[in-house]
Amino acid sequence: MFQGFAEESAMNWWTALFRRRRYEDLAISIEEHIALKAEELMETGMSREDAERTARRAFGNRTAITERSREAWQWPFLESLWADVRYALRQMRRNPGFAAVAIGTLALGLGAATALFTVVDHVILRPVAYKNAGRLVQVLKSSKQFPAGVEPEWTDIEQWTKQSRSFQSIAYWTGMGLRNFLVREPTSVEIRGTRVSTNLFATLGVRPELGHDFASSPGSNAGTAIIGDGLWRTVFGANRNIVGSAIRINDKTLTVIGVMPPGFEFPAVASDLPQVWTPIDPAADMAASQKQAEGSAAVYYTALARLRPGVTLAAAQTEMNVVQGRVAAQYKDADARKDQVGTVIAPYASTLVQADVRKALLALFAAALVLWLIAVVNVTNLLLARATSRRREIAMRGALGASRGRVLQQMLVEGLLLSGAASLLGLGLSIASVKLLARQLKDHLPLGAPPLMPDRWILLALLAMTVLTAALATLWPAWMSARAPIEPALRQGGVQAGTGRGQHRLRGVLVSIEVAMSLTLLVSCGLLLRTIYALRQVPLGYRVDHILVARLDIPRYRFTGRDITQTLYQPLLARVQQIKGIQAAGIMSSVPLSHGFRVQLGLVDNGKMLTAALKVVSPDAQRVFGMHMLAGRYFTGDDTPSSDAKVVVNRAFARAYAPDKHDPASLIGMGMWQLKKDRPLHIVGVLDDERSDSIAESSVPEAEVCTCQMTPDIGLYNIASASMELAVRTYLPEKDIVPQLRSIFRQAAPELEQADIATMDQIVADSYGSQRLAARLLEGFGAAALLLCVAGLYGLLAYIVAQRTHELGVRIALGAERGHLLWLVMRQAGAMLVGGVVVGAGLAYASARLVRGFLYGVKAHDGWTLAAAAACLLACGLVAAYLPARRAAGVNPMEALRAE
Amino acid sequence: MAKNTERRDLFPGAMEIMILQSLRQRPMHGYGLVKHIQQISEDMLDIEEGSLYPALQRLLREGLLESEAGVSTKGRPTRIYRVTDKGLKHLEQELSSFERMFAGIIRVLRTAQA
Repeated sequence: MFQGFAEESAMNWWTALFRRRRYEDLAISIEEHIALKAEELMETGMSREDAERTARRAFGNRTAITERSREAWQWPFLESLWADVRYALRQMRRNPGFAAVAIGTLALGLGAATALFTVVDHVILRPVAYKNAGRLVQVLKSSKQFPAGVEPEWTDIEQWTKQSRSFQSIAYWTGMGLRNFLVREPTSVEIRGTRVSTNLFATLGVRPELGHDFASSPGSNAGTAIIGDGLWRTVFGANRNIVGSAIRINDKTLTVIGVMPPGFEFPAVASDLPQVWTPIDPAADMAASQKQAEGSAAVYYTALARLRPGVTLAAAQTEMNVVQGRVAAQYKDADARKDQVGTVIAPYASTLVQADVRKALLALFAAALVLWLIAVVNVTNLLLARATSRRREIAMRGALGASRGRVLQQMLVEGLLLSGAASLLGLGLSIASVKLLARQLKDHLPLGAPPLMPDRWILLALLAMTVLTAALATLWPAWMSARAPIEPALRQGGVQAGTGRGQHRLRGVLVSIEVAMSLTLLVSCGLLLRTIYALRQVPLGYRVDHILVARLDIPRYRFTGRDITQTLYQPLLARVQQIKGIQAAGIMSSVPLSHGFRVQLGLVDNGKMLTAALKVVSPDAQRVFGMHMLAGRYFTGDDTPSSDAKVVVNRAFARAYAPDKHDPASLIGMGMWQLKKDRPLHIVGVLDDERSDSIAESSVPEAEVCTCQMTPDIGLYNIASASMELAVRTYLPEKDIVPQLRSIFRQAAPELEQADIATMDQIVADSYGSQRLAARLLEGFGAAALLLCVAGLYGLLAYIVAQRTHELGVRIALGAERGHLLWLVMRQAGAMLVGGVVVGAGLAYASARLVRGFLYGVKAHDGWTLAAAAACLLACGLVAAYLPARRAAGVNPMEALRAE
Repeated sequence: MAKNTERRDLFPGAMEIMILQSLRQRPMHGYGLVKHIQQISEDMLDIEEGSLYPALQRLLREGLLESEAGVSTKGRPTRIYRVTDKGLKHLEQELSSFERMFAGIIRVLRTAQA
């Protein structure tokens, strides 16, 4: 009915364009009909007036008939929707404050959920964009010693390819060495090099965009390479003639035969470096390995396979176990024959992210969803209040003929509009926050930061969530409005008491739910903050102040044939030590906590298996870090390539392997292994433990050898020279020292100028960076939740006080104390808060297991944290309740009684 | 419509067939159409005059009729309705189906009587 009026009065452009003619025709026909009938009646002798009246009556209800006739040209459902949209927009314009609060609240919830969903999608759901990525699996060889699986040898892969039926194709790959460069003028470009089997790209289901893939027979690919799209664009200017041209990778000249499509990446790691792939020729690799290691040639690759259609992972696993059993029976080594009889097959995507990282991300996502729920509950409360104030208007519509469904439709449309606006705002918030946190995400997530612009799946998910939000938030208010009886609402002077205690109580329950959920977020936040505090307090075993660390990754190929220690490291170190203001400088294969290059040493000594982490250090390293010696001495200038080979171990090593476990000194002089033939190593000192891997994990046995004793003919030498870190102790400010360091680096090797330089403080902080990131996120969520909660509580109480003004006035007039009224309101607030805290404590207890993986130094069910969070919530809630309470106490009875 | 067994509601589509058939004989304006139906049916059908118009508009919408503007002899603006080819085809189909249905009902009633 309203739409009829609307069109009559507005004659909107739609009607004007298409239907005016039709409506005119109709009106003319009807007019004509009545006129003709009247004329006929007049001919029978009736007066004009009587004739016209009779004619009209005989016709029927003209307005109703006109409307029904017009309906043939309308789409009633769409028109009613459009009318609802216009109406909702008018409402929003009239009450901009309400709309702003509702939209802002929902935007917070939707934005948080979208941001976390973007991360979860990038890392867990769709980490790789290969065709049918779900069918790609990694195949490892398992043994009793390493049940989790180890990489297979080429001979294994060869046999698997021949004997297995489960796979469409088996591919393999391996790294190209630590640092690789595309050598060109003026500066070389560092690249990420990967060596792949000729069928790897086919197995992934990707083909080069330009040029062609490797030829399938390994031998015929010598000297070729395929480059990535990024490299092609940035370095070669997207020159289409790249195919066939020569490039220099490290010390080899290769011909480019193809360029991969944009966005393709393999393997998927968090790295900005452009990629280059070269083909593996297993025969050549085997020959090279034969030459190097006297005796057994063993070449290891990582195996990646695509399941045949219709084959399940479990079936493949079973078959491969049998196949590997047959393959192992052919091994020459008796131990291996018995031991390596199984395989471990896992979906490729799952191998990119560890289980605990996945769990942690999902927990954070759950926290974001909790925030979203709080926002939805908050807005439901707001809409309920508004529905009550619009009671009369809705009753009027009902009286004029609107059905319940129509009222429901209108409120749902309104909810969708609010939710839609909030989702746009929330999307913006999400993009902004991913951008802000991009650096931390890149550093701490296994696959780097997600792309900034969301793709269509994320937008689709956001759309679904928007609709769900609207449905949830409007469900209760709409149902309530549609069901409300019409007549009492229309009665003049409708007493406000008609809203009922029932509704107030239910709204109070909603606020309590918000309080409960906020408590869970605050507790998780508190636990994480305590974790970080605990991590900061852990004694590391070395000093971290005033230390600068530079990562010296040398391109090996530039120094082939030369003694890298003598020609590069020693001179560089000497020059650094001469800088004024440097107290001490040393180089180490990896600085503690820096996730540098690490080698695990496994020796069999007198039948005992000894494992230790191996490090190569220079003598002054101890002075830089202030490490404490338990027994013996550290390396000194007396240790040279020709003197006795010495090794320093740590307390954990002593505890595990010393003859006398309680006396580290008993290790001194003990022989252990050898640098090379005729150069046995003797333990010369024992260091106190230090946290090397991570602050939270206790120390592992370590052994350190000195760079000063390295010569190129030692097997360890390659490890020693691959990648070293320079640590200097200096009390001068960073900005004075760094440029001097860089110029020394540049003199030593141009590629080193860009070396990463960081302070030890930063490295330590980064080592628990993922906890800091999580803490920051939870701080944000917790603060937002607290704000919403408090606002919700305040809103409800203010509303109730306003509703009860009359009653409060009566109470005061009858002699109630103002303090008593204050207490009344505070008591109501207290009931909601306490109820919420009690339920919230239960929720927090149940959900604490989700954050357990992040914690250190505090238990997930810690009582103090819970108490602190609860106290914080209660305090904020009571403060928020104080204002309405004071207003209640300050009611002027005369005005209140006059007001109704 | 009165729930009176003397006068029953028209079955769905009845009004449309009658309009189409009437207009097929000669195009008319709205009032003329009403009078025609009343006359021919000899008042056996009790149709509210205005109820024709929603049906007319529906037929127009579906393209079974077309309307033409004109001026009546008295100088009044008028709209004449005429059946289209599509309308004729639709009418034939409906008539034959109506006759079949009617014949079937008659047969059942006759055998019941016998």
